Amino acid sequence: MLPENAVNIKIRIKFSKTGSLKFISHLDLQRTMQSSFLRSKLPIYYSEGFNPHPKVVFSPPLSVGVSSLTEFVDVKMLADVAPAEIMEKLNASFPKGLCALECYTPTAKFTDIKWGLYEVKFELTGEIPEDICQKAQAALTAEEIIIEKFTKKGEPKRVNIAEGMRFESAALEGSVLTVTAKLSCDDASFVNPKYIGETLTCAMPEVFTGAEEETCRMAVYLADGETLFK
Amino acid sequence: MKIPESILKKVEKPGRYTGGEWGEVIKNPENVDIRFAFCFPDTYEIGMSNLGIRILYSILNDREDTWCERAYAPWADMEEQMRAHGIPLCTLESGTPLSECDFVGFSLQYELCYTNMLNMMNLAGIELESKNRKNDDPIIVCGGPCTYNSEPVADFVDICLIGEGEAELPELMDIYKKHKKMGFDRAAFLREVSKQESMYVPSLYDVEYNGDGTIRSFTPKYDDVPAKVRKRIVKDMDTAPFPKNLVMPFIQTVQDRIVLEVYRGCIRGCRFCQAGLVYRPVREKTPEVLNEQAKILADATGYSEITLSSLSISDYSCIEKLTDELLPWTNERKISLQLPSLRVDSFTKELMDKISTIRTGGITFAPEAGTQRLRDVINKNVEKADLLRACRVAFEGGKTQVKLYFMQGLPTETDEDLDGINELAQSVIDEFYATPGRAKKSPQVTLSAACFIPKPFTPFQWEKQFDMEELLRKQKYLTGKITNRKIRYNYHDAKVSRIEAIFARGDRKLSAALLEAAKRGMRLDGWEEFFDYDKWMEVFEYCGIDPAFYANREFGEDEILPWDNIDIGVTKEFLLRERHKAYGEKTTPNCRLQCSGCGANKLGGERTCCPKMQ
Repeated sequence: MLPENAVNIKIRIKFSKTGSLKFISHLDLQRTMQSSFLRSKLPIYYSEGFNPHPKVVFSPPLSVGVSSLTEFVDVKMLADVAPAEIMEKLNASFPKGLCALECYTPTAKFTDIKWGLYEVKFELTGEIPEDICQKAQAALTAEEIIIEKFTKKGEPKRVNIAEGMRFESAALEGSVLTVTAKLSCDDASFVNPKYIGETLTCAMPEVFTGAEEETCRMAVYLADGETLFK
Repeated sequence: MKIPESILKKVEKPGRYTGGEWGEVIKNPENVDIRFAFCFPDTYEIGMSNLGIRILYSILNDREDTWCERAYAPWADMEEQMRAHGIPLCTLESGTPLSECDFVGFSLQYELCYTNMLNMMNLAGIELESKNRKNDDPIIVCGGPCTYNSEPVADFVDICLIGEGEAELPELMDIYKKHKKMGFDRAAFLREVSKQESMYVPSLYDVEYNGDGTIRSFTPKYDDVPAKVRKRIVKDMDTAPFPKNLVMPFIQTVQDRIVLEVYRGCIRGCRFCQAGLVYRPVREKTPEVLNEQAKILADATGYSEITLSSLSISDYSCIEKLTDELLPWTNERKISLQLPSLRVDSFTKELMDKISTIRTGGITFAPEAGTQRLRDVINKNVEKADLLRACRVAFEGGKTQVKLYFMQGLPTETDEDLDGINELAQSVIDEFYATPGRAKKSPQVTLSAACFIPKPFTPFQWEKQFDMEELLRKQKYLTGKITNRKIRYNYHDAKVSRIEAIFARGDRKLSAALLEAAKRGMRLDGWEEFFDYDKWMEVFEYCGIDPAFYANREFGEDEILPWDNIDIGVTKEFLLRERHKAYGEKTTPNCRLQCSGCGANKLGGERTCCPKMQ
């Protein structure tokens, strides 16, 4: 518990996680964040107890291998520090690949995040059909998009993810196909961005099998899928 | 080249292979003369925890002319990918293949990592045997505790640095730079290196053997190559370079905290312990310097734990003063202080009250042997009463669990001594119930038993390890003795201990076995998943090597030992004296009570407890 009358300011930091950092698990991100905060010497509120640590809360985790331009972490400060100073000190303490982008008093809750906009770049190696963008759009906007998930017991289960997939765009530049889509972040209908590639491979195995893919979370939205989460 | 992302996505813990951590040193290759790949022959998590590498990484990179980078042994899944895609082992910082570096250094911390060293060289496309390497190939240099008897790897390494690398490495870099300017000639370079204090070049010595396999002679090939190589030490620990910045691992490592090295050496002289003797003389840092260094590291790293490191922290002469200096600011900054390796005679209520990690964590003591007789043989200088008193303090403080370390198969050990282990554990349980104000819970004593391994440069270096059958019988015997369910008994794999014993006292003939093991793809021997005793036995048989010659043979006192060409300061005469005292069950007082003339004082050093040389 905070001491009475203590300044207790909740701050939200929007940051990006790219480069080497995309291979770091959520748990290890927390460790990296914690040591970064300690290096920054910002007046962070610590939990009490035997093993005090900075009290920080993260927006929903990313899969290992996925980068993001829009992650959030909430911290409590024990003094009023100007946002510009927070950003400057954090960025001086972050490893390459983490970058604080914005810093403000939060209003929305992390549970309000319902949609994520993802960009997936496919490096295609084989012959590329002329109408690949249309074909990709067709595959990703089908009424039924069936993928195979595994239950906790390890048994395969076929699931229709069409409800949680909103195709946005497909564009070809050289041999790189860039697909963007909004995917559900809701607990019940969560769609992993790797299903974009799986769906396309299923539709056009000759084009997508073995293609390198690079995935990035670009933005997150509220339930309407339009209003940016802040 | 950096590992492609498509491969990183396929392996476990890709954070091991990305580099890019906070604190890594990046330089422009155009601006340096020397590229040094510092390798740890085990996984990233273990290697990143090593204090020695952290120190030497910073010393080398403090030089403008040198860029030191890191490399670790890849896990099996990554190795498979690398071999399938023809990716050589590269440094983490720049992705430079090790084969393109001027130096490839290995820190040899335990015998089971030898195969990892060879596998890493193989993955890098470097010729394993030094005689096959060409003028432009990297110089293979090694250091660390295994280097005190580096004979098993003699065919593979170019240079062994004996002792503490802080002073040796910069000197080696200077010599290399000089030779590079003159037009580098490998043989001339190694010859000059061999003449330096503490630098051992195995290829410049000839070994002859007697008919029974023991060493007949060990002679330098040239007159100007010294017959004996003396260990180098850092004289003044206060002014010794320390890493002001650490590379902060992205993934959890074994020692994921600030390691504050308080002193080197040990005053105790337990007769089985190599570290206690090879790191002599004891040299302390002052509390003021340590406090300052701790602050610098806390600022630079953002770690929230500091562990005070030494072989026996309570033997530090200024421990009280040091904790008094550290605690006010570490408490304020919520940094927790850890004091590992506490001896029972130093475990007090005051200490427990002061240090929160002692208050909350489990407690562990190392009586090492079950009876007073055997504890006297090994010179442990701990009595049962000390142990019970320490346990009572812990129980009064609310603890219910105690872990006790033992060694099985020590010289002169009988079943009575094994009974003693069980009885000691039982006494700890009794002490718990006799403690007023103890927790209202059931106590638990965990016994963790290692197998004795005779190590070079210890009074027990001549002793044999009991054979496998007897080691297993001892483990079974004690298992049968322990009936109280509040006592748990864990023991090390005797097969692993035997392989360690073979290499610990090995000579050059073992290089052939290592080469064969490498050819058969053996590596990651420190990992249960990969260690395969039967494969090792096949290798020895194939090479015509009798493992019992090394592990289960009592070495003769007048025999030339494979490591006799190394001078660690402590003399062979002292070790012999100690061996004979062991058989007489006579203890030797610690260095602070009385000097026993081990010989380490000839190396000098500040803030030692040694008498100065006349």
